[in-house]
Amino acid sequence: MLNVPVSFDTSWIQQMTERMQDDGPWDKWEMFKLALEAEEAMAVREFNQLQCLKYLPHLTPFPHQLATAERVLNEMRGRAILADEVGLGKTIEAGLILKEYLVRGLAKKILILVPASLVIQWTKELNQKFGIPAVAQKKEYMWRQHDVVVASIDTAKRDPHRRHVLDIDYDMLIIDEAHKLKNKKTRNYQFVKEIRKKYCLLLTATPIQNEMDELYNLITLLKPGHLGHSSAFSANYVEGKRQAKNNEQLRAELKKVMIRNKRSDGGIQFTNRRVQSVPIELSPEEMALYESVTRFVREQYHSGTGGFNSLALITLQREICSSKEAAFMTLYNMYQRTPEDSPLRAQILELVEMIRRIDTHSKAAKTVELIKQINDKVIIFTEYRATQNYLQKYLHEHGITSVPFRGGFKRSKKDWMTELFQNRAQVLIATEAGGEGINLQFCNQVINYDMPWNPMRVEQRIGRVHRLGQQRDVHIYNLSTTGTIEEHILRLLYEKIDLFEMVIGELDDIVERLNLNQSLEDNLVQIIMESRSVGEMAVKLDNMGEAIRAVQAIRRQTTASKAHEAAGK
Amino acid sequence: MQQPQIRQFVERYLNTFSAHIVETHPDYLTVKLPVEVDKDIGNRPFYWSWVEKMNLPYQPLTLTFAFHPERMPEGLRAEFLHLGASRMQQIFQSAKKHGRFVCMFEKIPGFLPHVGQRRSTPLVPWLGLNLKISLLCDKRRDILLSLGINLHEPRVVQDFVSSLFRLSLTPSIPDYYYTLDRRITLQQAQSMAEQEVYRVLQQEDQQWAEDARTRLEEELAILESYYRELAEREETQTESEKSESPEDGAAESAEQEVLAPPPTPLDCVDTPPEKEALAAPQTSRESVEQPEGPGDARFAGGRILDFLRANGVQTTPREEISQEPWKGSTPAEEYRRRMDELRWQYEPRIEVETINGGLFYLHSQPGSGRML
Repeated sequence: MLNVPVSFDTSWIQQMTERMQDDGPWDKWEMFKLALEAEEAMAVREFNQLQCLKYLPHLTPFPHQLATAERVLNEMRGRAILADEVGLGKTIEAGLILKEYLVRGLAKKILILVPASLVIQWTKELNQKFGIPAVAQKKEYMWRQHDVVVASIDTAKRDPHRRHVLDIDYDMLIIDEAHKLKNKKTRNYQFVKEIRKKYCLLLTATPIQNEMDELYNLITLLKPGHLGHSSAFSANYVEGKRQAKNNEQLRAELKKVMIRNKRSDGGIQFTNRRVQSVPIELSPEEMALYESVTRFVREQYHSGTGGFNSLALITLQREICSSKEAAFMTLYNMYQRTPEDSPLRAQILELVEMIRRIDTHSKAAKTVELIKQINDKVIIFTEYRATQNYLQKYLHEHGITSVPFRGGFKRSKKDWMTELFQNRAQVLIATEAGGEGINLQFCNQVINYDMPWNPMRVEQRIGRVHRLGQQRDVHIYNLSTTGTIEEHILRLLYEKIDLFEMVIGELDDIVERLNLNQSLEDNLVQIIMESRSVGEMAVKLDNMGEAIRAVQAIRRQTTASKAHEAAGK
Repeated sequence: MQQPQIRQFVERYLNTFSAHIVETHPDYLTVKLPVEVDKDIGNRPFYWSWVEKMNLPYQPLTLTFAFHPERMPEGLRAEFLHLGASRMQQIFQSAKKHGRFVCMFEKIPGFLPHVGQRRSTPLVPWLGLNLKISLLCDKRRDILLSLGINLHEPRVVQDFVSSLFRLSLTPSIPDYYYTLDRRITLQQAQSMAEQEVYRVLQQEDQQWAEDARTRLEEELAILESYYRELAEREETQTESEKSESPEDGAAESAEQEVLAPPPTPLDCVDTPPEKEALAAPQTSRESVEQPEGPGDARFAGGRILDFLRANGVQTTPREEISQEPWKGSTPAEEYRRRMDELRWQYEPRIEVETINGGLFYLHSQPGSGRML
């Protein structure tokens, strides 16, 4: 028995009756046939088969992208977290899925929320690659006027825009860089929760950055209750903040809402990575400065007498590893904030004076040497703006053209800088935030001027150039200043755990298995800041490296045996 | 539809409008669009309302359509037409718009009446309906059905349109034919068509709908238990909060006071604060709707800016932008919204659209009909 409601369109009766009464006007028989042929060409004959490809003659998606689109359509029913590793083409997957629903006539009103810097890029890609008439939201009327709108989440959440967005029923909502919604207390999160939507795609390369809760919050946006109430989730699946338990069960649950393609899954050919450490000897004055600052940080960190918060001290420690210019402002600010009668003032001033006196730049000099030797486009990554500014000036003095790149740039400026880099300049100097959403595959040389303490960030840096579309092997140069913390970190990441050789995502998995109470980064910070001596720090870092290696070995073994099993079947 | 069919389709479409083909080449064609075509696929609605309202002479658009992406014409601004091209979709839409209703008569080729025989051959009135039946849940499948309904001796045949393709049809009644009268109305014919659709649907596999319902039930169950637990927890939480930290609450309300909009002169006649908060969203809502209505009386001819202003959607004036603090939904509201979303997503339903229809006066017997 048929127990599905059927609705008939009967509007034709009136229209046809009128024409019969007036005996016309009648349409042409040829047009009648064409109309039918058009419907035949457009009709969706299958529930499950992807339809969109016949509408996309220019696009040849990778097999994993097609498989993802099919899974979202058939198994996840249009609500999914797309969590491919960086560089596997999440945008393409989202585009395919969106196109599929558009073609099937199941979606019409679409909202795509992305960071402001990516609005134009998304709009362009949807139009050019997918023939989807997406517009970048600029004016208030556009929410209603256009069916496919790409907007910055920060604009959308503010009135008067918010009211429009929350008034519209969206057939599909797509959110890029969805890890920014990890905190459920933020306005962004609350806002997205309020949007009425039928299908929903959340895109992120890092569904978990620090805590398991982040993933839980994302899933709650997508399908509240899917993992139970948060406390039930914690009880069932969370061991430590970063540590899952009942892994198999959790994995099975996650599989229902999340797709994560990894490079290690194979099937996608990437060029090789060639990693090289570039040792740098500091001049005696530079070394003295480094040691003085480090000593100062350590004393303050342990005694706490200066009243500096530990974050500022950690920052200073990181900065002095990058460049003296980076440390300068922080020291200066510390000086300003210290009471005038404090004996610390003199101490800080002394450090500032040391910076002023030094006129050698060993690291920068080595970089210039390296760039000249490479004699090709180079991207330099640094964590600090002061380092970036200084480097640009330094390179300029040595006849090397460079352009800066920061997350804070407007999209047009980013595009302009990318273009300048591609066509005019030899070097792009990027701060960390400059990483998201830019494709720089035309360059295959990366210099890590300083080393983030968070290994995930190292991955993101490399992911900018080592992605689908990179034609050449990627060369990575890590500047390693002898006798500094950076050297130890690099040894841990590079020699002990082979970070640079790891397929992207492997680290993620390892950290998950490590049973850490805090993130890897926090652990590093703790080791670095709390060790009483260089020796102690080295030992602790070594231990950590050993632990990671052990997990890695187990992991590789199981992966291998699984592959073996699979091959046996 | 492959590229050769795309080209054929476009050519037939343009020919039907007697479009002037400027140039035709194996890889592309250049055409001067007729008015109707320009309006449908030219993407310039503003231009059209402009020339029409201003009574200006119209400049036809000339476009070049290419059919091979790797063999685009040189020195010409051409666009590649393929199934997914938006222009192709517009052409489809235009064909559907101009191919809605026909009235055709069968003409038997070589048929000549005997001498002295006048108006001797009867033609039977048929209603032809092309239907698109869409099975919808979170997915979709379409079934195309072409029905013929005999309006003289009520009965329904399937695959009607293929029978028509075998006949020779003409838009005006040929000599020596006469038409039999229609004994049922279009309304009655529609009911017969509906019965036929139900019959067709009965024979279809119903599994898709059951699956969709099962999914919906499962999801609703998850939702229910989640929000039930949430509600219970909130209760205990707010109680404990009340007893523990009264200062927090005070701080919060103080903050809200700071963020609340200054009362407008109209409202400020002693409205208690809560009422004001309730009234505010409504007033602001009205303010958006007002400017949305186009066709403002301000349009005074001649100036394109005025025209655009009158026909565009305006921006909410700054002073009307709501400055209220953020207020999220309650768990109950959220629950309701989520349930609505799920039903919207999954609930199986069938929509039957009439693609087009026609009156056909036939001499031949189409298809194998089912007598009623």
